[in-house]
Amino acid sequence: MKYILPKHELNALLERWSAEYAVLAPQKAGAYSEFLPFTAQSELCLEEPHNTRYPPKALFFPQSEAILKYKRNLGQLESIEAVPQKRVIFGIRPCDAKAVTLLDTVFAEGDNQDPFWLARRAETLLIGLGCNEPGATCFCTSTESGPFHTDGLDALLTDLGGEYLIELLSERAAGLFSGLESASSAQQENAQAVQTAAEQALPKAFELDGLKDKLDRVFDQDVWAQLSESCLGCGICTFLCPTCFCFDLVDEAQRDTRVRNWDTCMFRVYSLEASAHNPRPTRKERTRQRLMHKYSYWWEHAGKLGCTGCGRCVRYCPVGLDIRAMLRKASAYESEALHAN
Amino acid sequence: MDNKPKIAFFQCQWCLYAPEDQEWVDSRLPENIHLIKVPCTGRIDPLFVLNAVQGGADGVVISGCLPEKCHFKEGNLAARRQLVEFTSFLDYIGYDQERVRFVWLDLQDRGRIQRELADFESQISRLGPAESLATRVPLSEGGAND
Amino acid sequence: MTEMEAKIRTEAARLLSEGLVDVVVAFRKEDAPLRPQPAFFTNVEDLENLVYNGLCANNLANYLTRFPQETRIGMLVRGCENRSVNALVVEKQHSRQNLYLIGIPCTGIIDWRKVVALTGEDILTYEDSAHTLTVRARHQTFALPRQELLHSSCLRCVHPNPLSADIVLGEMLPEGDPALIRERVESFEALTRSERTAYFKQEAERCIRCYACREACPMCYCEECFVDHNAPRWTESGTTPAGTHAWHIIRAFHQTGRCTSCGACERACPMDIQMTYLTDKLGKDMWDSYQFAAGMDDQTQPPFASFTLDDKKHFQVGGKQS
Repeated sequence: MKYILPKHELNALLERWSAEYAVLAPQKAGAYSEFLPFTAQSELCLEEPHNTRYPPKALFFPQSEAILKYKRNLGQLESIEAVPQKRVIFGIRPCDAKAVTLLDTVFAEGDNQDPFWLARRAETLLIGLGCNEPGATCFCTSTESGPFHTDGLDALLTDLGGEYLIELLSERAAGLFSGLESASSAQQENAQAVQTAAEQALPKAFELDGLKDKLDRVFDQDVWAQLSESCLGCGICTFLCPTCFCFDLVDEAQRDTRVRNWDTCMFRVYSLEASAHNPRPTRKERTRQRLMHKYSYWWEHAGKLGCTGCGRCVRYCPVGLDIRAMLRKASAYESEALHAN
Repeated sequence: MDNKPKIAFFQCQWCLYAPEDQEWVDSRLPENIHLIKVPCTGRIDPLFVLNAVQGGADGVVISGCLPEKCHFKEGNLAARRQLVEFTSFLDYIGYDQERVRFVWLDLQDRGRIQRELADFESQISRLGPAESLATRVPLSEGGAND
Repeated sequence: MTEMEAKIRTEAARLLSEGLVDVVVAFRKEDAPLRPQPAFFTNVEDLENLVYNGLCANNLANYLTRFPQETRIGMLVRGCENRSVNALVVEKQHSRQNLYLIGIPCTGIIDWRKVVALTGEDILTYEDSAHTLTVRARHQTFALPRQELLHSSCLRCVHPNPLSADIVLGEMLPEGDPALIRERVESFEALTRSERTAYFKQEAERCIRCYACREACPMCYCEECFVDHNAPRWTESGTTPAGTHAWHIIRAFHQTGRCTSCGACERACPMDIQMTYLTDKLGKDMWDSYQFAAGMDDQTQPPFASFTLDDKKHFQVGGKQS
């Protein structure tokens, strides 16, 4: 089903949803857009060519989350219940929605499923907004995704200028759009044209085919030292990444709470062992790890690519490192250095 | 304020020359004053003071020896520069400078520590509770878990 | 290639080809739009990738502590970078003899975020000149006045000239007005206590503990940072208020007498958190109390490392704290 919604009716629609759901949508509290609770006074921030700075994975997997409380000296433990909450996340970009499905692989499948993740996922609808003019740091089309891909979405909006075309993708979201006008065939064609133009505006930044094998083959080579030499080893790329999922469990004993925090393989202490041995002793090993995990190990562990091309790591790297260029260089190195006669 | 103010008291182990003063601190310190004994004020890292503030301290007292009287010769001088600046820095972000008192003690200051602590406590009572940076208060003392 | 780039490349080529340095630390052309990258040049041939312009946003002195003391380093230094190098030499992080500083009087670093706010995202090329940044975006070309794009630390810069470079390329610039830094600290001090706390919290609580500020800062080079200490655990490691407050308070405080107000911390921060209002206050106090400013030479010890018995004039007997 495809609907049409004039832009000036958007806020009213979200208000209607607010009667039944907690609605979150991109808004600016300060200089940048982030997913904030929608209220009648909200000014939505939907016109930017790129996604929010802070990734919406935090809406399912908060950066710091208390998971257990205890009363010292009384021996009382209280686990913190994971309670499903009916939510609509509106305006999520296809790269981020696909990333949520990738994180399902980690948190919602197999033997050890995360109750906190499951609770947040269970009753949350993802209503996506495609990207008409992907930003200069976007590369979803290189990662088996695209500016109007539908993985993980319950509905997808296409901006047609004065109105949105809404494509319903799952039954559970049907109620959100009841009463809206159906899109005409002209409008549907228009949407199709917008989507195609967006895809074409984003040529591939690197060749994904065969990339995993190439990266595996250059694992021990010097190229990694060159690629990582200016890397600061901060956590920006991993924390802003919508598919990174590593975490640390800490007892904040002073507050009688056990907390789960995001962790990052980019920090030296991440792989530092109690003996003081560190299997990733320098920046080279750690930067290499990040690329290999996304572009090689994810294939091995999950049969999927671990990156959706959202571009945050490129946009916000303080030293301008560009994962697309790094992959091209590693790949080229493999072709030239290992196969040169 | 119904409850007595929570006071963190960092005491250099050498600064109470009179044995009865040390004995009073060790066994008759009021319950709302939390004693942390250190080998020298030079041992006091600003992180200790921050921990006290985040833990809910409404006031902090630091007692040590006078210059030239430091058991370790210069420890109190190192403390002096860092901790005084840290106090000024905390005031800059809103934790009133009046909530941190330095008491530098000498041989003739028998009985002074009790007076200082009592005087400080009434000063803190007048200032009221310091809530703004108290983010690591234990659950059992009314802290939050989030 | 600009005239300045040509001069830098020539000097770098000379240093490398004459074997005077083992590496030249400068910037190379960007992969991502508006983001030239810090780079380490060891071959003359690679110098064709060397660039220098207002988008070179990192403090290169940060990389000094990556090299062993014996490495002879040629480094591009603007005003703040030279002072950071001095501060590091004072702390014995490298031997001055093994440094060759290529000094550049600096007209300010451009904040790329201010650029994209005006031009949008689709930037193809840009050109930085004395007064204008020309940006060619996909649909439009912009000529932006440089002054409006500078990072806020650069707007308050007092010492844009390299103080102790081995060679200075370009004309020295007039010194900035120290009152700018002082006034900003004083206007913060003039707010009420609760306004100051509210501002501090509003900034600090956006922190995502990525530690980009720490990693971008030349003076943060501790092998074990206080946040990584486990026994005892000084600060919370997550994004709780306890953790984020402690991080910003203590990191700033550890810069007392060491920070050169370069602003690299703020430029690195992905959440646009303000931090220099904290370090500038500490710097002002070090000047007022000890007449000390970090990085002005490579000899003078900072105040927290140089306490003396003369401090006793501040101790008071008889009740009053000093």
